[in-house]
Amino acid sequence: MKNACRWFVPSSILGLVLLALGASSAGAQEAAEIFRQSCISCHTIGGGRLVGPDLKDVEERKDREWLADFILDPMGVLASGDAYALQLREEAGGAVMTAVPGMSHTQAEALLDLIAAESLLEASQFAGLDLGDEPFTALDIERGEEIFMGHRKLVNGGPACLACHTVGGLPQLSGGTLGPDLSRVFERLQGRKNLASWLLAPATETMRPVFAGRAMTQDEIVPLVAFFEDSARQRSEDGGTSQLLFLILGLAGAALGFLLADGLWRRRFRGVRRELVRGRR
Amino acid sequence: MDVRSQVSMVFHLDKCIGCHTCSIACKNVWTDRQGTEYMWWNNVETKPGTGFPTAWEDQEKYQGGWEVKKGELKLKSTGPAKVMANIFHNPHQPSMDDYYEPWTYDYENLFDAPEGDDQPVARPVSRVTGEYMEVEAGPNWDDDLGGSEIYAANDPNLDALTEEQRQQLSAVERLVMFYFPRICNHCLNPSCVASCPSGALYKRGEDGIVLIDQKRCRAWRSCIAACPYKKTYYNWHTGKSEKCILCYPRLETGQAPACFHSCVGRIRYLGVLLYDAERIEEVAKLPDEEIVEGHRSMILDPWDPEVVAAAKANGIPDDVIESARKSPVYRFVKEWKIALPPHLEYRTLPMLFYVPPMSPVMAGKEGDSVYHFTDGNLFHDIDQSRVPIAYLAKLLGAGNEGLVRYALRKQKAVRLYRRALTVGDVDEESAARALREANCSVEEAEAIYRLTALCTFDDRFVIPPMHREEAIQMIEEPHGHRQSVGFGFTAGPKRGL
Repeated sequence: MKNACRWFVPSSILGLVLLALGASSAGAQEAAEIFRQSCISCHTIGGGRLVGPDLKDVEERKDREWLADFILDPMGVLASGDAYALQLREEAGGAVMTAVPGMSHTQAEALLDLIAAESLLEASQFAGLDLGDEPFTALDIERGEEIFMGHRKLVNGGPACLACHTVGGLPQLSGGTLGPDLSRVFERLQGRKNLASWLLAPATETMRPVFAGRAMTQDEIVPLVAFFEDSARQRSEDGGTSQLLFLILGLAGAALGFLLADGLWRRRFRGVRRELVRGRR
Repeated sequence: MDVRSQVSMVFHLDKCIGCHTCSIACKNVWTDRQGTEYMWWNNVETKPGTGFPTAWEDQEKYQGGWEVKKGELKLKSTGPAKVMANIFHNPHQPSMDDYYEPWTYDYENLFDAPEGDDQPVARPVSRVTGEYMEVEAGPNWDDDLGGSEIYAANDPNLDALTEEQRQQLSAVERLVMFYFPRICNHCLNPSCVASCPSGALYKRGEDGIVLIDQKRCRAWRSCIAACPYKKTYYNWHTGKSEKCILCYPRLETGQAPACFHSCVGRIRYLGVLLYDAERIEEVAKLPDEEIVEGHRSMILDPWDPEVVAAAKANGIPDDVIESARKSPVYRFVKEWKIALPPHLEYRTLPMLFYVPPMSPVMAGKEGDSVYHFTDGNLFHDIDQSRVPIAYLAKLLGAGNEGLVRYALRKQKAVRLYRRALTVGDVDEESAARALREANCSVEEAEAIYRLTALCTFDDRFVIPPMHREEAIQMIEEPHGHRQSVGFGFTAGPKRGL
C-alpha cells in the first residue's frame, strides 16, 4: 500500500506534464490543419497575394485582437464599417472572406500563432504553389480534361469535377448543374496562382467537406489549371442549351416508350361496352 | 367413388317473366352497402342480348374459365407466368363502364328548387363520385331490346347462327326474346377458387356453396377475371371481392334464398344433388360434344345402395341423402333431362341448370299484315322455333343441339298431353305420339306438369338439413361456438390485412 502511494504522486505529475505538452503541440498541429483546409485557397504566408493578402507578418499591419475578431466574423467587422476591412474588400476585388464554421477564439489565436511562427521561417510551408508563367503543354490540357471528365480518377479519392460542374462545349448532355459553370473560372479567380491555390483546398461551404481528407495532389492541380486556362480561352459558357436538349431527349424518350408499350401490347383489353357502342354508330 | 353433396338449382326459363323481383330481393338483402352499389349477385338478362357486365360471354375478351392445353386443364386468365406479369393490374376484367356507373337521383331538388318558370327535375347523381352524370348504361340496359342493333346483335351466342338466321332474327315479325336470370352457379370446378392467389375463395364441403373469405381476400381480383360468368365482384369500399352466397344464412335456417323465395314466376327450384367428386377433372377435360352428358353422369342416383354406402362413408348424413331423393333438381336434370347447365364449355361444371324456353309461335308477313302460323295446332315445330335451336345450344348445351331439342320436345309433348286432357282440341292419339317421340311416359308427363305448373313452396325448395353443428366441429368446439354466435360479424371487412 505504502509502496504504491510512493509511486503514485510523481507518476501522476509526469502524466500531467506530458498531457500539457501534447495539448500544445496538438494545438499547433490543428491550426496548421485548419490553415491547410480553409486558408490556403486565398492566402499565402510569404508567397505573395492571391485573392486575399499575403499573411506574412500580418501582426505588423494590424493588432492581434482585431485579427482574431476578423477571423471569427469577417462579415460582422465589415458591417461595423471598419475602414481597414473595407479597404481589404476593395483590394480583393469585392470578395469577402468566409468564416470557418465552428471556429473558436482559441483556435483563432492558435492560427495567429501559426502565422507568426511561419512568418519567421525562410520558406513557409504555406508559400503557395508557383506554377511559373510558361505555357502549358497540350498534354497537360488533355490530362486536365481527363481529370475533369472523370476518365482519370483523383488519387485521394475526390469526386470528378463533372459530377457537379460543367464547362461549355462538352459533348452530349454536358456536366452537372449543381455547382457553377467553370468555363471562365480561370478569369474569375484571376490567374494560375489563385486557381491552383484554390484547388489545393477548395474553401466554399459545399466543396470543403467534399474534399476534406481527399485533397488533390499537385500532379492533378497542374493539368486542371491548364485545362481551365485553355477553356477560358476557347470555350464560352454553356448557356442552357444542354438543359433544353436534356428536356427534349427526355420527352422524346418517354413518348417513344409509350409508343413501344402501345405497340407491344396492342391487343390489350380496352373495355367492351364502349367499343361496342362506338362500333355500331 | 367420392360422393359429395351440392345444393343445386334449376331455373325454368319457360316460366320467367323478366320482372327482376329476384334481383331487387337480393339487392335489398345483400348489396345495398357502400361499394356494392353496382353489384347484382342476381340479375336478369334479356336474350339475345349482351347481359351484365356487357358481353360477359365473350371469353376472347374476358378470358374466363378453363381450357384444355396439352391434356391439362389450365385457367385462361392466369398462370404462373401471367400472375407475375399482371401482378399490379389484372387487365382482363370489366371496367366500371362495362358494368355501369351506379347512380341515384337528386330528389331533394324536387322540393328545394327555387320558384321558376320550369318544373324542377331530379337529375341523376353518380353514387361513386357524387357528381351529376349522364347515364349511359345500366345493369339491365338492354332489357327487352330483342332487336337492338347494339346489344342484341352483339350477343356472343349468335356466333352459332348462320348469317341468314341472324338476318331473320332481326326481322320485325320474327323478333324474339326470353329472359335469363343468373346467379353464381356454385360450380364443381370453380375457376374463381382456382385463380385466387390468397386462397380466399373456397367451396364449402358440406353443401358446395362457393364463398369468399373476407378476411383473407387481398383484392388481387383474379377471381373477377377467372370467373367466366362474371359473378364475383370487387367492393371498392372494403377492398374485398364479394359474390352470391346462395343466402347460406337463410339455407341454414331452412329458408329458401331471397331470390328463390321472392320469384314471382316460381321458376326457381332448389335441392341437393349427390355427385362423384373423383370425376371432376376427367369430366372437365371432356370435349364439348361429350361434356354435357359427362356432367350429367357425375350426378349420382340417391337410391343406388352403392352410392348411399359411399355417401355415408364420406360422412353425408342420412337426412341429406333423404333430401337428395326428394330434390326437384335431380328430377329436372337427371330423370327428365330437360334442364341443362349454362356454357359448360367454360369447364367450370356449373351446378345451376336451366330448362330451355319455348318460343312464341311463328309469324309471317303477307302484304302489310303480320299473321301467325299455327300449322293446324297451337304449337310450333321445335326446329322452327323463333329462337334458333343453335342459339339455345350455344347457351345451354355447349353447342349440342340434340340435348336442347330433346328438352324442348319433351316440354312440347307435355303441353300437348295436357291440352288433350283439359281442352280437348288436341286428339289423344297425337298427344300420345308426341309423348312417345319425346321419350316421355304418361307418368313422367304428369310429374313434369305437376312440378312445373302446380308446384308448391315445398315442392320447389327441398332444403337439406345443413347440420351446422357438424360443420362447425371442423373449425371449433361446438359448445364454445354456440355461446359465441348470435351477433354475426362484430367487425366488418376493411381494406388491408
